[in-house]
This record gives sequence, C-alpha cells and structure tokens, in this order.
Amino acid sequence: MSGLLLDYLPILIFTAIALVISFAFLAMPLIMAPAAPDDEKHSTYECGFPAFDDSRMKFDIRFYLVAILFIVFDLEVAFLFPWAVSLGEVGPYAFWAMMVFLGELIIGYIYAWKVGALEWD
Amino acid sequence: MEIGLAHYLAVAAILFTIGVFGIFVNRKNVVVILMSVELILLSVNINLVAFSAHLGDLAGQIFALFVLTVAAAEAAVGLAILVVYFRNRGDISVDHINLMKG
Amino acid sequence: MEIETLLPALAFYLFAGVAVISALMVVIARNPVRSVLFLIMTFFSAAALFVMLGAEFLALLLIVVYVGAVAVLFLFVVMMLDVDFVELKQGFAEYLPLGALLSFVLAVELIILGATFRIPKEFVAQTPITADVSNIEAFGRVLYTDYAFFFEAAGLILLVAMIGAILLTLSTKKDVKRQKVCEQVSRTPKDGLKRVDVKPGEGI
Repeated sequence: MSGLLLDYLPILIFTAIALVISFAFLAMPLIMAPAAPDDEKHSTYECGFPAFDDSRMKFDIRFYLVAILFIVFDLEVAFLFPWAVSLGEVGPYAFWAMMVFLGELIIGYIYAWKVGALEWD
Repeated sequence: MEIGLAHYLAVAAILFTIGVFGIFVNRKNVVVILMSVELILLSVNINLVAFSAHLGDLAGQIFALFVLTVAAAEAAVGLAILVVYFRNRGDISVDHINLMKG
Repeated sequence: MEIETLLPALAFYLFAGVAVISALMVVIARNPVRSVLFLIMTFFSAAALFVMLGAEFLALLLIVVYVGAVAVLFLFVVMMLDVDFVELKQGFAEYLPLGALLSFVLAVELIILGATFRIPKEFVAQTPITADVSNIEAFGRVLYTDYAFFFEAAGLILLVAMIGAILLTLSTKKDVKRQKVCEQVSRTPKDGLKRVDVKPGEGI
C-alpha cells in the first residue's frame, strides 16, 4: 500500500462514520417513534381543503436551463485547475491555449445572455 | 490477493454489461437509457484509467478527461432533446421516437 | 496476511461491489428518481476506485461534474416530466431473461479478455507518470501543450452543447411584461413629468 492511499485513509474513515451516523438516524425512528399511519396523514396538506393535486410538483423547465449552463461552466472550471497549478512551468503557449478556450466559452456566454437564457421571466 | 489490472478490467466489464442490459430491458424509458449510456461511458473511463495506472502512461487519464467532457455534453443535449420531445408529444416512449425524423 | 495488501484489497472489493450493485439498481429500479440516486452512488464508488488507481484529479472531477451537475440535471428532468413511470416499465419482464443471458455471456467474455491481457514488452509510455509531481500537475504539464488541440476541441464541444441545449429548450413567452432595468435606471424627471397648459373650462 502506497503513501498516496494512506493519505486518503482519513477520508475513508470519515465516510464510514458518516454512513453509520446517518443510518442510525434513519433507523432510530423506525424503532422508537410511534407510527399509526392513515390516509389522512399521508395526504397532501392543503390548509384544510381536500388535496386536489399531487404532492410532487412538476419542475419548471427554466431550472433545467440553469443546470445545463452550470454543467458547461463547471467543466470549464475543471479545465482551469491543472492550468492554474502548472502555469509557471509550461509557459506562454499554455496561457494562450487557455485564453482561446475561455474565448470559445465566452462566445457561448454572450449567446446565452443575448438570447435571454440567463433571465428568469 | 494483490489487486491488479485484471480486477479493474473486470469491474469495468461488469459495469459495461449492466449498461447494455439497462438499454436492453428499459426499451420504453428514455431517461433510464440515457443513464445506462452514462454507465457505459463510466466503465470506459475506468478501463482507461486502469490501463493508464498500470502502464505508467498519463495519456489514458487525459483521454478519460475528454471522455468525461463529451459525456457531460452528451447528457446535456440528450436531455434537452428529451425535454422537447416530451413537450411536443406528452410521453417519452421510445416506440414513437422515430417521429423525430425529418 | 499483512495489512499492507489486505487494506487496499478490502477497499477495492467494497467500492467495486457498491459500484456494481448500485449500477444494477440504476437499471432495474422502478422509480427513476431512485435510479438517479443509485447513479450518484455508482459515480461515488467509481471515484473511489480512481483514487485507488492514483488518478486523484479525475476522481474529484467525477464527483464535481457528475455528482454535482449531471446527476442533478437527470434529477431535474425526471421531476420535470409528468410521466406514468409504471407504464414505462412494461416489457421489462419480457426482455429480462434474454437480456440477462446475453449480458452474462458478454460479461464473461470481457472478463476473460481482461484476465488474459498482457502488456506488450515493447510498450513505451508516451507521457510517463513520474513520482515527483502530483497528478494534477502532471495533467497541467501536458494538457495545454501536447494536447492543446484536443483541449480546444473540448471547448468547442462544450460551446456546441451549450448553444444546442439553449436552442432546444428556451422558449420565451411573448405576452409577458419584462422589467427593463436599463430604462428604469436611466429615467429622469424629464421623461416622467409633462407640463400641460390647461385652459379653464376645456379640460385636456
């Protein structure tokens, strides 16, 4: 076992502890809490009215657009990390390569802005 | 009990076949088919990284990075097509998806 | 057996097992929301396997990009679509036996192929992994110079994906009154006030 994996051992231990605690919190109500379910309790609460809709509301499509833009810029940032770490060694060529890359995405950003994808209503 | 290249290749092979299996049995649900495609791409990535680690060559990991990028773009566009398809037709069954032609 | 080899082996079997089981749950779960959550679990375990292979950067990228963005996108779509998902499960039992058989054969073939693979003796690494730099720094040293062309192509792919997704999903409503911040801010008393000379008895 190399030193690299030993570096990650604390994370493994933390994950194990987190799993144990969260499962304990999930399991405890099953054992300890009183449960007497009926239809009324399970129905959606509508301020005293009978429920007239499903409790799972449909998401608006605009959330989806935000998520797509997030994916693209998330990947952009992911490509920035190694560049930031090694810029001192790789020189101006890498710098300009990244500027071209950023330029490509800025075109997309301007397009999204112009077409109104960043506006909510 | 040393974990070698073959172990990782076996995991990737099983994930790949689960992805193929998912496409095979979920003929109607496009969302699950897209998720299966993600699984297949993940297994490809595991393969690339395993070979990269065992051959001591970084090229495999760099290729995996690009596969990751393309997979994310594919998910974004695929789900966008799915959303538009749902908006026009009201369901996401694969049976009628050839209506998108032309 | 000494702990030096036992611990990585245990960790490998744990993460590989979780990855395989949750991947199976992705394709057989009845509720697509659960499928997405199992997909997240698969990606987490795969990230752990990447760490064990020494690909730290890719492992964290898998968590940031897949768990953080792609899985959320899937979740949005599943919750956005108003579909009877039980109906979509039709045909599952019909295809199950043949699909399971074919997948099993395929998996066995692939595993045999992987187990019998030997690294050719004349293999020379193009960009060797050296121990003196961290994984992410090794990436940075070659990604923007030797692989610059692929890097720019990746940027173009992202651009196309972004524009395509916006084109497909964006629908601007015509009958909505929009706030024009620019006009609001640049408005002066001159634009808002008008002096009208009203003559007695005539009105405006």
